[in-house]
Amino acid sequence: MDNKHFMVAGVIIALVIGVVAVFFASSDPDGLESTALIVQGDKTLTGATPPDVEVDTGLHETIVYDSPFPDYSIGGSLGTYGGLVAIVFGTFLAFVAVYAIAKVIAGARTPNQ
Amino acid sequence: MHIPDGFIPIPQGIVYWVIALVFIALALRWAKNEMTDEKIPLIAVLAAAIFALQSFNIPVSMGTSGHLVGGALAAIVLGSPFAAVFILTLVLIVQGVLFGDGGITVMGANIINMGVIGGFGGFYGFKGLMAATKNISISAFIAAWLACLVPALAAAVELSLAGSFPFEVGMIAMGAYHAAIGIIEGLVTVIAINLILRVRPDMVDFSRPAASGVVS
Repeated sequence: MDNKHFMVAGVIIALVIGVVAVFFASSDPDGLESTALIVQGDKTLTGATPPDVEVDTGLHETIVYDSPFPDYSIGGSLGTYGGLVAIVFGTFLAFVAVYAIAKVIAGARTPNQ
Repeated sequence: MHIPDGFIPIPQGIVYWVIALVFIALALRWAKNEMTDEKIPLIAVLAAAIFALQSFNIPVSMGTSGHLVGGALAAIVLGSPFAAVFILTLVLIVQGVLFGDGGITVMGANIINMGVIGGFGGFYGFKGLMAATKNISISAFIAAWLACLVPALAAAVELSLAGSFPFEVGMIAMGAYHAAIGIIEGLVTVIAINLILRVRPDMVDFSRPAASGVVS
């Protein structure tokens, strides 16, 4: 498999994983959120997470930053499709950003070699 | 285990940012010395795959779910803990800035936990285990499991210093959940390494004969 096919296959696998995740990912909190719920008294260590609890992130004064696509969705009424667009966009962006930066760094050293 | 803004006071967040920047600078130096055109496809594909896999939360019982972090995977296949710092930093920037997953003021702490501790733990754990067991899958599984558990415990310490989690509760809960989530980390890492080894063994650091690697 040459480099081009490797990259195409790799990005397709990543996109498939991301798309499947939009439909099948668990909505249970992650380990850090679960721990936060225990600390704030909304969950026990091994118990199920109540459906309507939320992690209180206002523990310390901080700078409030509103991301354009919070929680991997583009918001509005698009629901699941918004999630799909967000994941596909993010996956491509991660690929392109790392590819471009790596290429620039590799290119910068070539003339000196 | 992405720490959100508001969980760590800003002055402490700045300290973690400064430490993270030192490792980011070292990762850029690694990239400058090691980045060849042959490595770029693997680095870029790993970034896309780690981003996608981090959105895939799988239930681990106890009312909790988790996903791959990817530090061990990146460090093992690319043969340097700094590869994990390089990739995870960029993935965390995309997640934090665009998707609000992980805070901005605390991003330094997240980079230290998942990129630095995950990368170093995964890389040297794999190296040591390979010397002892000579088995790629067993070594990668245990190293990746550790590279999930240890960063989570580090996060518990940071959040205890921040006054957000009591030390004991934080260590027990973060430890218990990430011991379970680490099984996902281990399995996905083993599957990914074997997949890459099957199609492009020349891209994997430890399978190259010329590598100073762990197999020989």
